[in-house]
Amino acid sequence: MSTDRILLQDLSKVFTRDGRQVQALTGVNAAFQRGEFITLFGPSGCGKTSLLRIIAGLEAQSSGEVSLFGQSPATASQLKNIAWVPQSPALLPWLSLRNNVLLSERLNRRADRRPGSHRQPEDADAVLRDLGLADFAGARPAQLSGGMRQRAAMARAFVQGAELMLMDEPFSALDELTRDAVRMRLLQVWEKHRKTVIFVTHSAAEAVMLSDRVLVMTPRPGRVHREVQIDLPRPRTQEVLESPAFDAKLREVRQVLRSGWEGEE
Amino acid sequence: MKRPGLVLQWLAPLAVFALLYLGWQAIAFNYRSILPPFGDVTGDFLSRPGFYGTNLLATLHAALTGFAIGSAVAILLAVLAVYFASLRAAILPVALLLNVTPIVAISPALIVAFGFNAVPHIIVAALAAFFPMLINAMSGLRQVDREALDVFHAMSASPVEVFLHLRLPGALPQVFAGAKLGITAAMVGAIVSEFTGTSRGIGAAIVMATTYLNLSQMWVAIFVSALTTLALVGLVVLLEKLIVRW
Repeated sequence: MSTDRILLQDLSKVFTRDGRQVQALTGVNAAFQRGEFITLFGPSGCGKTSLLRIIAGLEAQSSGEVSLFGQSPATASQLKNIAWVPQSPALLPWLSLRNNVLLSERLNRRADRRPGSHRQPEDADAVLRDLGLADFAGARPAQLSGGMRQRAAMARAFVQGAELMLMDEPFSALDELTRDAVRMRLLQVWEKHRKTVIFVTHSAAEAVMLSDRVLVMTPRPGRVHREVQIDLPRPRTQEVLESPAFDAKLREVRQVLRSGWEGEE
Repeated sequence: MKRPGLVLQWLAPLAVFALLYLGWQAIAFNYRSILPPFGDVTGDFLSRPGFYGTNLLATLHAALTGFAIGSAVAILLAVLAVYFASLRAAILPVALLLNVTPIVAISPALIVAFGFNAVPHIIVAALAAFFPMLINAMSGLRQVDREALDVFHAMSASPVEVFLHLRLPGALPQVFAGAKLGITAAMVGAIVSEFTGTSRGIGAAIVMATTYLNLSQMWVAIFVSALTTLALVGLVVLLEKLIVRW
């Protein structure tokens, strides 16, 4: 097993709903390099969240293999080597922002004594500073805005220092202006840390802005339709994001989606 | 806009109390057999606070011991019910049956079983506190933020960690809601239980007053128990404010 790559081999997922069998995912094959920012992009029902949950070990696949740098999702999880960023921030309301961000240091403390541990926890205060939250370290989640809470959820994942970060549409609940600002923050912080990220979204602009590679997925049954390499320069400054090359990539991603999926009313 | 708020908060209830007082006195001076004049009630209390104090202590002892036992058992069962679906299925019908049973009506049976002492009253108070505590603790412990649970599971947090760091603190507001109901139910349970089989306690003082047609004593006992229950609920609220600070 390759220890420097993430390999998905022939993954499929079938679940039963109301007595009917639904094929959520079929024949997913992919390989991701260490340090890549990968986006799973597609309409709802394409299985992108299912795929992410399988990679995280939160759900079991029906068939196929997942190898995260040579480890199974279960092993990587036991080593705290997977950081999960859910759709809502899911902060613990009774903890200060700083203690929320340090959650990974409270849980599963045995992980770091296990052989094969590779995670490198980051300094909480430094991450909070990078995400513009340093002044709010002592505040409770209820005292923060939605954008700040979402940044805190990302800070929690960065502090965990896992080799793999999985983000399940983390910005979908934010208003558009806040989304733009939080995406930019993520971009900046990620370009500094360069963790391997698998990011789920149904926004083409978000996919192109953040990723090195976009896996365009289509529904019924959920599958990877095609990959698009986003070879825009990094750092992705405002200039890059407003360049004709960016617009061209955005069009390409949308065209690829259309070629596999007619869209629905 | 602070001032109108304050007026509403303090003056409105005060006005209602003043009206109630006037209505009370109007009845008391026309129909002596229905209500005693308010001055008689306060006078009776001030002339022998020791009598009421002793009886209140007996009631408090039964109510608080019962509340402690009832809520401890309820919380323990609620915790177990989170993890064992079969236990949950077994508990709920029994709890519901217990809830519709007039618990105070079993007090005489308990006196036959345990004798003329505090035990029957403690048991009634415990049973009264049990149900609101169980229902609230169970629903509090069961509803957990699914997405936070994903965060915990993705880093292989143990079941104990999920309980201590996620379920338990998340359930605290509901546990306190149950405690507010439970402590009230325990006080009522203890007092009504004291209607039979004892000469001590606020409930016994009420029964005694009935026998001697002592309306003042009856109303002192009622006011003392109401104010004490209010103070106990206030104590729970204070504790909640200190612990649930989010």
